[in-house]
Amino acid sequence: MTWLADHPMNDPRLLESTETEQENAFDHPWLVVVHNDPVNLMSYVAMIFRRVFGWNRERAERHMLEVHTKGRSVVWSGAREQGELYVQQLHGHLLLATLVRSPR
Amino acid sequence: MYFEISKKGNPLFSKIHPLLAGMLQTVAVDPWERFPDGSSRLLPSPGDDEELCADWEDIVQPELRRHFDLERSVVAEDLTRLKSGKGKNPGWSLEIESTHGNAWLTTLNAHRLALVDEYSITEQELAEKSEPDFSNERGLALMQVNFFAFVQECLIRAQDEDDGGQLGESDDAEGH
Repeated sequence: MTWLADHPMNDPRLLESTETEQENAFDHPWLVVVHNDPVNLMSYVAMIFRRVFGWNRERAERHMLEVHTKGRSVVWSGAREQGELYVQQLHGHLLLATLVRSPR
Repeated sequence: MYFEISKKGNPLFSKIHPLLAGMLQTVAVDPWERFPDGSSRLLPSPGDDEELCADWEDIVQPELRRHFDLERSVVAEDLTRLKSGKGKNPGWSLEIESTHGNAWLTTLNAHRLALVDEYSITEQELAEKSEPDFSNERGLALMQVNFFAFVQECLIRAQDEDDGGQLGESDDAEGH
């Protein structure tokens, strides 16, 4: 993703709870994963996360930063049909998102 | 170029340089026609599952294509109101209905993504803040990508103000 300015949320400590969420997500069979791309603006990605998932600003920015720094972020887990709808919505906003089966 | 919120509460761009106004008008063109190679990025694969990919190609991608066309038609209509200034107010101006913000964000994003793919613009080039090179088509493409990003940032800020920072403040809809 593109950095237009130094971002106040650029703090690795903010990623710790996101990793915990990923571990919990493995209890479910399908995962929605958002992948990094160098074009989408960070502010845009965070705004789309808020819109699609109804997250607050902090949570949306945490996942956006995880995409930016780690290359991907698991943003949802659950039943396949709902996951397909989320991926379709994310593709509708031109984010790179995939639906993958959980490894366990 | 200046950006402000108009008295009607709409995003308003003024004193737009004619070159930038011309660039803005290009987003009314179908990116699939304008960027035959770069437009493949606009309909990415949903994953590795064969059944899912087949469904996507048959059902979802045509729907997404219609969605993008609809958003672009809203933008094209707005662009017919791009006005040229006279006398003491040179440059062009454009007021965008606040309800059209999403259509603009999607359409600008589609063109940025397709431009980057079409001209193989690198991540390093996107990050560099060097002087624009007008001497070749690729330099102009990079300038368009950066200019459209600026317009996107303005529209995102305007939407943030509209939402009063309340958008999605609930965590009720979290994933499992």
